[in-house]
Amino acid sequence: MNPIFLFFHKTGSPPWFYKYSGKLIPWLWAIFLVLTAYGLYLGLVVAPADYQQGESVRIMYLHVPTAWMSMMIYGLMAIMGFIALVWRIRIMEVLVISSAPVGAAFTMIALITGSLWGRPTWGTYWVWDARLTSELVLLFLYFGVIALYNAFDEPRKAARAASLMSIVGAINLPIIYFSVEWWNTLHQGSSMGSSGTGIHPSMLLPLLLMATATKFYYGANLLSRARLTLLKQDHRKRWVQDVLSKESH
Amino acid sequence: MSHTPFILAAYLISAVVLFWAAIAPIVNKRSLLRQLKNRQARMDKSQ
Repeated sequence: MNPIFLFFHKTGSPPWFYKYSGKLIPWLWAIFLVLTAYGLYLGLVVAPADYQQGESVRIMYLHVPTAWMSMMIYGLMAIMGFIALVWRIRIMEVLVISSAPVGAAFTMIALITGSLWGRPTWGTYWVWDARLTSELVLLFLYFGVIALYNAFDEPRKAARAASLMSIVGAINLPIIYFSVEWWNTLHQGSSMGSSGTGIHPSMLLPLLLMATATKFYYGANLLSRARLTLLKQDHRKRWVQDVLSKESH
Repeated sequence: MSHTPFILAAYLISAVVLFWAAIAPIVNKRSLLRQLKNRQARMDKSQ
């Protein structure tokens, strides 16, 4: 068999996935903790206050990475959902449904931290501008995917419905991204783009460290949730009985 | 206006949400394994 096909074939096998993801998770958590500790030190202690935003700029080291993650995770869910529906790869269905709570957590943090930054900077916690509203819609989409999955008794049917909703909901991603260009919003435009960034390195480094840390958080949390979902779905299968006898000793 | 309460609230709420999201699958897995083990024990007993 072609080595690439062999790799996908192996990765798609629940016992194989369960075994090797279990080995990966502690490393992902460790990298996340190291990056977060260093990022927080640079962001809260070393980086200067902003000349306009003052000390509240320190909220940006949380708000920006979590807002990026909220969009990235939904985008990944749409891609994995597409693969799950077209090629019927069960692991992809499991990854879609396991991503949704993590994405919802990041979206919630992005909205709350944005609101807490907005009060001292804009003078208000919330405005119904296009960026904030479309991000709130994203949170509802995550809740919708989770609710839809839980509405079915048959897990594979539920996962397929959730995958389809992930694909349809992805229409909101370009709306969030371009909202600051398409409409007049209180939310500022992107500070980073293909033409570079105007952010000073002393602020850029903690921002990028935190952004990288959140990727590892997602990886570790996703794999933990995917392993749990596999155990729930396959609890009558032999490999789960083997896991049970191993983990109970 | 002091920005400190807003910064503290932002970091505290984020830490709580991230911790809860991280710990939930671990707690649920323990509970599931306990349930499966109890079921297995009941089945072994009835045979």
